[in-house]
Amino acid sequence: MREPSIIETSEHVAIEGLTQVFDRATRPLTALSNVNLRVGRGEFVSVIGPSGCGKSTLLRLIGGLLQPTEGRVDLAGATPAEAQRRKAIGYVFQDPSLLPWRSVIANVTLPLQVNRRRRGEDRRRSPHDLLHLVGLSQFEGYYPRELSGGMQQRVALARALVFEPSLLLMDEPFGALDEITRRAMRYELLRIWQARLPDGQAGDGGSGRKTVVFVTHSIPEAITLSDRVVVMSGSPGTVRAVIDIDLPRPRDEDMETQPAFLDYVVRLRRLLGEG
Amino acid sequence: MRVERPAPVAAVRHKAPRPARPAGGPADPESATGMPAVEEAARPLSLTRLLRLARRAAGDLLPPVSALLIAAGVWEAWVRLRDVPDYLVPAPSAVVARMAGDPAFFAREGLITLQGALAGFALGSAVAIALAVVMAHSRFLERSIFPLAILVKVTPIVAIAPLLAIWFGFGLMPKVFIAGLIAFFPVMVNGLLGFRSVNAGALELLQSLAASRLDVFVKLRLPSSLPYLFAAFKVSIPLSVIGAVVAEWFSGDRGLGRVIQVANNNLDLDTAFGAVFSLAILGIGLYLLTAALERRLLFWHESAAGL
Repeated sequence: MREPSIIETSEHVAIEGLTQVFDRATRPLTALSNVNLRVGRGEFVSVIGPSGCGKSTLLRLIGGLLQPTEGRVDLAGATPAEAQRRKAIGYVFQDPSLLPWRSVIANVTLPLQVNRRRRGEDRRRSPHDLLHLVGLSQFEGYYPRELSGGMQQRVALARALVFEPSLLLMDEPFGALDEITRRAMRYELLRIWQARLPDGQAGDGGSGRKTVVFVTHSIPEAITLSDRVVVMSGSPGTVRAVIDIDLPRPRDEDMETQPAFLDYVVRLRRLLGEG
Repeated sequence: MRVERPAPVAAVRHKAPRPARPAGGPADPESATGMPAVEEAARPLSLTRLLRLARRAAGDLLPPVSALLIAAGVWEAWVRLRDVPDYLVPAPSAVVARMAGDPAFFAREGLITLQGALAGFALGSAVAIALAVVMAHSRFLERSIFPLAILVKVTPIVAIAPLLAIWFGFGLMPKVFIAGLIAFFPVMVNGLLGFRSVNAGALELLQSLAASRLDVFVKLRLPSSLPYLFAAFKVSIPLSVIGAVVAEWFSGDRGLGRVIQVANNNLDLDTAFGAVFSLAILGIGLYLLTAALERRLLFWHESAAGL
């Protein structure tokens, strides 16, 4: 018997009483304890916290890569497994995880080649257009090892967007990049996220934007990108606070020096420091 | 929880050469003169280019050929100076003369051995890969099958080889069986390791798309396993030749193994060593073929840039 949906129509992700316990040889590890969170359609939410606070576990539970010990995840009325089957979840990891034997364009095409439905049913974007969007048009025929780390991560982003998922889960996607590339990628991601999609292609409330849950441990990154920042503390992982980031969009690098931005930095630093 | 991986070494990325595309060009992207391979291929066949290609081929062949010649020279000198009788050790010159005297004989018998070795290698590898696929998907089956595989591995081939004549008679079958048995184990062990050694992120990506097990296998596990499988093939292929020879020794009516056995009984060591040399040519040829195929298919792998 299926449980009734817990989600509101304006919401995309609803998490209730989520607890994750890992069985280990020594003693069980509680990675998450009673986490509640709601993410609206087209909203950009960052999850920030110290290493080992369960941010990645939370993301994997939302994406259906893990089954929760307790509690539930509702993705617009569907379970994560159902969302996976519908190809509604785009995932970007810290490691670009490109297949080295596939060229750049073939890597971007990969999601279209698995879990295929009847012809015409698939939402999809042209891999060429996406590579153009991430600025890699000239590198279609290259192989991953010929690209820099930042370029590889752009390919991974294009790969996550090619099947038009309505939900994008990003697990410290820029964590392995150097500071300069990292900042550039931050604004690149904002530009891509804000780029309007052709009508009827996005699975959101008409804003043309995807819902994004973005795990990071960089405070400026979280503020620059997000509508809301979820601050977590560790062992076991719990939600400590949720901060609304009330800064105008589109955002640019000038914003980082403004008092409002710096206020948020101070607030978040304090919240994280107390953990 | 995800353990953070260290940032990949940037230098590796930047120095990585453009891999040779499967479709064309020599594997070495830069010739000795530093000319990009693509340009070289595009230019018309000129005398200077022919000379350069010849020089490169000579450079590739020089080390192994000179090592071989030196070894043969020492052997020849030892046999002549110590006056070793030819029923104990023949001079290499005598062996080569024997082979040159009847090349069709060695080629014919060699082909028969090759047939058995290749059929055995193909069959043994196929069974090994099939079992590795099954084991890669189930720890339970791995625990069930692996001990049996080890049992097969530790069975002394020489001990059961005489039985095979009784079981299978003479001819191709015992050869295929033993060659397959020898080729089997390295391929199975490496295949299992290869099918499991997949990029964790790529696997999770496919899972997040609800990809089927078949898709995960074809798109991820199989290509990931190729470096491991080829390492095993390079070990197994010469071994399968040995397997075929052992089978011929005990239950063969033809082939180089049979030739060696008969020649040994007749103290005709020129012929016996001629057969051994023929086997060496076979083994080296098969190995080089495998290595060439590997270079073609694994242009993307770290090992392609390792030297």
